[in-house]
Amino acid sequence: MLSAVRERLSFASTWRQSLRRYAADWARRRQGEDRLPITISTRRVYILPTRGGMAFAMLLFIMLLAGLNYSNSTALLITFMLTGFGLIAMHLTHRNLTGVVARGLATGDAFAGEHGRLSVTLESSGNARFGIECEVEGSPRVAVDLRETGSARADLPLLLEKRGRLTIGRVKLSTTFPFGLFHAWTYLHAPVSLLAWPVPRGRREPPAEAASGGDAPSVHRAGDEEWVGLREFRSGDSPRQVAWGAYARGRGLLVKTYQSPAAHYRIFDLATVNGSVESRLEQLSAWIVAAHARGERYGLNLAPLEIAPDSGNEHRRRCLDALALYGEA
Amino acid sequence: MQGEARAQLSATLVFIGAALLVAGQTPVWTLAIALACAVWRLLIALGRLPAPQLRKGMRFLFGAVTALLVGGVLLSFRTLNGLAAGTALLTLMGALKLLESKSRRDDAIAIGVSLFLLLAAGLGNQTLLRLPLYLLLLWGACAAMMIVAHAGSTLPVRAAMRLSARALLMAAPLAAACFLLFPRFSGQFWALPRGGEATVGLSDEMSPGAIDKLVAEYDPAFRVRFEGPPPPPDARYWRGPVLNSFDGFTWRRAPRNYVSAPLEFLGEPLRYRVTLEPTSRNWIFALDTVVDRPQRGMFMSHDRQITRPEPVYEAFSYDAVSHLETRATAPLSVLGRRYETELPSNRNPRALALARELRGTVASDAEYARVALDWFERNGLEYTLEPDPTGLDSVDSVLFDTKRGFCGHFASAYATLMRAVGVPARVVTGYLGGEWNPIGQYFIVRQSDAHAWTEIWLEGKGWTRIDPTAVVAPERLRAGLYDVLGDASAPVGLTLSRYAWLGSIARAWDGANQWWRDRVLDFNLRAQLGFLRNLGIEAPDWRHLGWGFAGALTLWLLWVAFTLRRSVARVKPDRIARAWLKATRKLAKVAPPRAASEGAMNYAARVAALHPAIAAEVRSVAERYTLLRFGPNPRSEDIAALEREVSRLSV
Repeated sequence: MLSAVRERLSFASTWRQSLRRYAADWARRRQGEDRLPITISTRRVYILPTRGGMAFAMLLFIMLLAGLNYSNSTALLITFMLTGFGLIAMHLTHRNLTGVVARGLATGDAFAGEHGRLSVTLESSGNARFGIECEVEGSPRVAVDLRETGSARADLPLLLEKRGRLTIGRVKLSTTFPFGLFHAWTYLHAPVSLLAWPVPRGRREPPAEAASGGDAPSVHRAGDEEWVGLREFRSGDSPRQVAWGAYARGRGLLVKTYQSPAAHYRIFDLATVNGSVESRLEQLSAWIVAAHARGERYGLNLAPLEIAPDSGNEHRRRCLDALALYGEA
Repeated sequence: MQGEARAQLSATLVFIGAALLVAGQTPVWTLAIALACAVWRLLIALGRLPAPQLRKGMRFLFGAVTALLVGGVLLSFRTLNGLAAGTALLTLMGALKLLESKSRRDDAIAIGVSLFLLLAAGLGNQTLLRLPLYLLLLWGACAAMMIVAHAGSTLPVRAAMRLSARALLMAAPLAAACFLLFPRFSGQFWALPRGGEATVGLSDEMSPGAIDKLVAEYDPAFRVRFEGPPPPPDARYWRGPVLNSFDGFTWRRAPRNYVSAPLEFLGEPLRYRVTLEPTSRNWIFALDTVVDRPQRGMFMSHDRQITRPEPVYEAFSYDAVSHLETRATAPLSVLGRRYETELPSNRNPRALALARELRGTVASDAEYARVALDWFERNGLEYTLEPDPTGLDSVDSVLFDTKRGFCGHFASAYATLMRAVGVPARVVTGYLGGEWNPIGQYFIVRQSDAHAWTEIWLEGKGWTRIDPTAVVAPERLRAGLYDVLGDASAPVGLTLSRYAWLGSIARAWDGANQWWRDRVLDFNLRAQLGFLRNLGIEAPDWRHLGWGFAGALTLWLLWVAFTLRRSVARVKPDRIARAWLKATRKLAKVAPPRAASEGAMNYAARVAALHPAIAAEVRSVAERYTLLRFGPNPRSEDIAALEREVSRLSV
């Protein structure tokens, strides 16, 4: 008996899920792909009553029946006031979402099995907004409040289950503010992807060091690098490396670069390790993490992809990204 | 304070308010339990008491307590059905919900229960005095809803109060339109039993002294608004229960019928609207002599006594037409004559003897009626509110022993004298007079205006009103009872209203109440159609109402959408944004305006390409703006520099 009920409940929930997915796909077809920044317009905001809103409507209906039955004007007045209030609540909820500017999406990659991060930067155009919830499939909802000016960032933790690229095609922004009677939501279809690096795992000894001359200047400074000069800003450079002083003097956006005098390096070659592809990638990942921690220079050979020896955060990241994407067409 | 605690606090406060609003409708123990639970929850929310740990056994205990409370309600009401029992039950269940409240959902349910209690309060008591309280609770409930729904947010409580007030104010026009145009039904879908609240008013029997108690009440019995000029005070006889059976001590209404003689109405008709206070009885009062029953569904008996099927538990209004003069066009039926002259032959012997003696001196019934009245006038009867107790032969006591009596005594005595010699007579109870309210332009008829008189049948004329009190205390016809009897015995309310300013305040308040009752509480389908007729629609019906309602709803929605949109656009830009806006406005004259997604630097580059002459200035402004907007901690002098550059910018 109980299990039958549970079965029906689970059927209902899968039914609801598939309905929800169907609606989302319909919205995707309807809206097309988005390029951020984007101002949430009324065209893309969907709104339905929440469960509380349905209960409220039920309450209104009972109140109306009672008022009409007893021809009681006070009860009817209260009912009509609350009805108007409910409709205003719908407008307010809708208004709380429309006009929000989605500035951008940023990702934070992580090792497989850990939580990556998707950051949604929102900005209010005009009003203060409360309880804007951001959500992607597989993440908990994160609510942010927006002040009249300035932006707010919602960091969504995303569990990265396996190595590779996790593409997020849809971010859902929603709100039930102010009264929790209605749920307004919108989809952003601006695909971003997170990389799940292979878990650093493996006990093999790293390959021996080789030696060579200097290398190309890098914007990173691991410790012993020397300042080399300024170069043009390229997209991807961190604002922290921008030479703001030079900018203020009107020389445009420039970044500081450094060069290391060291010459020793290791090449981590996938072919030198045996085992399954994943375990080999994990071993390389472990080597990279260890070498980076020691401040060593290292290169990568994933045949056909090769990465020249270097060091620093940027380099570590480039190597780990290559591992994450290994085998992807 | 933590968001969760704030949510609990607000929901509990709203519940307390709602429980207090229905305090008059629920037993004291229910209210006490509700308040105790609420206060306990408040103390927890404020952190004064530790939150309870719910253990396994608690669930069972909780169920037991619930069953106990339901049993308690059953015991005190004998039913769970009905408004009073339902209200008590709802109060208790809400209180229990507070006890086990642990999530936002529970808080929301407490608010929902409060709204139901508000409905119950509205159904039970709709006086004007209560309206502000209802609106206040409505406001509180809406704000609490918001606080509960956003327990985790940085929303300030004041903002919640303000936004709720705004939403409710914006809802008011729709509420008014709905009220005017939402199609009403006449009749009930279902009827719940009503409790028999004791109210003052005339009853269907009259023993000596019954009316004296009633006139000590200053409560209004009903209010009357005349369409034309009102009749003079000595014609304002409001007819109520007609009593036709006398056992020598008490006049009663006997359930006996006969065919009444048709009437011819003379003179101008008087049209008026009566708003009757609750009486818990079926009587309907109308000016003597009413033409027809005021509403369908009411019943008019052979003696023109109007009743309605269900007792008057709530104030309600009806329109009636009366004529001051009438004439019967047929003789009284044999059965009628027999019923209306019945008298116990072994009671009030002295009165019966007097009647026979007086009747012997004159030729006709009409003359006898006058002679009997003269007897009342000449024999030193005294009009008093405190008559002496009478014996079983009440008429003899009043006429020959104590010689003191009130209207009821005289009416009873006079009718007895008539019946004793075969003149059909009956006692009519009702009200005489009424106080004029100049603010509301209507009469208030109070319980203290209660009166009793007689009607006798005269051949060729029909039933004729004779008021023996009028000859004993003639001034009673033109003035209120206490104007005749003096202040010593007047009720407190009346004494207070003698002070001019207090009286005028009281009258203004009564006028406002009456307006509320006439125009708001009594607003029904008929009034709705009348409203449409005033708008110029001939023969309106519910379809017009439907169209009007739909139209009003559409207009209101448009207004709401417009108002809210406008306030979305109301941005308060800071100095940096203002300067930049000014610059873009200037540049818009010479270049296509900046696209919403176009960055300042990109825009500057575009403008510079179009107008090399000002390229440097434009770039500089855009760079300064970008630095100030997105760089760390903008300094005031840098902003000033930007503003200077913007104002120097010439295109």
